[in-house]
Amino acid sequence: MITVEKLHKTIKKRKILSDVTFSVAKGECVGLLGPNGAGKTTLIKCMTGILQHEQGNITFNSTPIVQHKKNIGYLSQHTDFKPWMTCEESLFFFGKLSGLDKTFLKGNISAVLEEVGLKDKGNYKVEQLSGGMKQRLGIAQAILHQPLLLILDEPVSALDPIGRNEVKKLIARLKKRTTIIISTHILDDASEFCERYIIIKNGMIVGNITEEFQKSDRKQILVKMGNVPQTSEALKSSEVEHVECLSPNTFLLTGAEELDLQKVVNDFAAKEMDITSIEFYERGIEEIFLEMVSDT
Amino acid sequence: MTNFYTLTRTELVEATKEFKFIWLSLFFVILGITQPLITKYMDVILENVGGADGITIDPNRPVPSSAEVLLSTISGQFNQIGLIILIISFMGLIAADRNSGMQDFILTRPVSLRSYLLSKLMGHWVISMFSISIGAVVSYGYTIFLFGSFSFSNFLLFLLLYSFWILFVVSLAILISTFVKSPILIAVTTIAASIFFILIKGFNHFLFQLSPGGILNLAENQLLSVHDSNYFSIATCLAFILLNLSWANRNLKKS
Repeated sequence: MITVEKLHKTIKKRKILSDVTFSVAKGECVGLLGPNGAGKTTLIKCMTGILQHEQGNITFNSTPIVQHKKNIGYLSQHTDFKPWMTCEESLFFFGKLSGLDKTFLKGNISAVLEEVGLKDKGNYKVEQLSGGMKQRLGIAQAILHQPLLLILDEPVSALDPIGRNEVKKLIARLKKRTTIIISTHILDDASEFCERYIIIKNGMIVGNITEEFQKSDRKQILVKMGNVPQTSEALKSSEVEHVECLSPNTFLLTGAEELDLQKVVNDFAAKEMDITSIEFYERGIEEIFLEMVSDT
Repeated sequence: MTNFYTLTRTELVEATKEFKFIWLSLFFVILGITQPLITKYMDVILENVGGADGITIDPNRPVPSSAEVLLSTISGQFNQIGLIILIISFMGLIAADRNSGMQDFILTRPVSLRSYLLSKLMGHWVISMFSISIGAVVSYGYTIFLFGSFSFSNFLLFLLLYSFWILFVVSLAILISTFVKSPILIAVTTIAASIFFILIKGFNHFLFQLSPGGILNLAENQLLSVHDSNYFSIATCLAFILLNLSWANRNLKKS
């Protein structure tokens, strides 16, 4: 659906993005992760056509992205509207700018307000809304024109737990029908929606992580023991190179190569060890992220 | 065109909600009344406030013409104190949108940067000229009442030419807003740059004629009924406005 190829962007002689290449397919929900200042917002601003890039291409269904503004919904990092406008007036204003017909807008505004849970707040002025409500109004303006792609820049990072919960529920609903790119540095939030993660560091893509990738690293096994072994050394074998004790009866076994789960089980059986559970250790996105963005 | 209309209309509605049309007009009305009143009744004022000790006012001093009073109102009051207040009133014209995220919301729509910048220019020019015109008309009324008649068509021509200068000042504020994020810094820089263009007159008249401030000379000459056919200064002023907008357009695209 959207393809970014060899993108370069410099602002005030500082290289912000360097050779950024990735694509997002229709129906995907992709997390754009990176530490603060990594270039996420600049990348998003290039993708939405707010900023011009020096080199590279951004295409939407094989045509330049600037021709597809109508197909993109965007929620900015700082969400604030004209405080004197009501929610309905705000949406009407953005709808007009999207080129939507007045009659269509009249019907669609109430539907969108209902979708984001602001049905009874249509006549409220923006200045009367809480942070969570403003963020939901921000999402409402992003989906008003029924875009094919939704780009959300830090949608929940500035909200309190109640606001975050409201917005997260809304994103989960939208995910079922729209392609979504979410930029965030809060990894727990990203892991709730995303099937894939693009990790950006110093303006460069340093990782493209799928759920399969998280599972594919089979060098570690998590084992829970019924009886606590006297020393963790007892768990070592020809395959298991290192043993880490996570709790008195939980151990993380690491091999130099990929481990054979059956072989490890047989090994323990031979040593008459009481195993409660044994499985490959699935690394969380946070662990992978920290590994990729770490300077060491 | 529809987007330009929608954006300009929003600027004007916002100004109405913030009572900008009212307080700016009132401010210019006060400025417009003050100058002719002070000029006419200076001796009475000094006598009544007790500050006339040691001051001798020549009873045979020449009475200024209505054109001269109008000129001192516009050049002295409107174009100095008035201009500063106007610039302060629109110092956040782009910075506020940028800081609130509104600019991003607008520019991700099928809205061209040209429409966005032109709507800012048009909106703030209309607000400024509305207030200035109200103040100027009231001042005109007071001046002809106190100092004698003056050609209304010359006065209108003056206002028309002066509006080009205001258009330039708004475009300058737009340009500076694309460089600087702080509204206060935008205001200070715009005020300093505008005063620079006015002050060039004292240093080099030729440069002044080539600067956007040259149009002020042409406008003032309409008030003084001096024949001035330097209509080139209109083109110069328009060229500077276009330059400011193009530069602002380029800056917003890049960062």
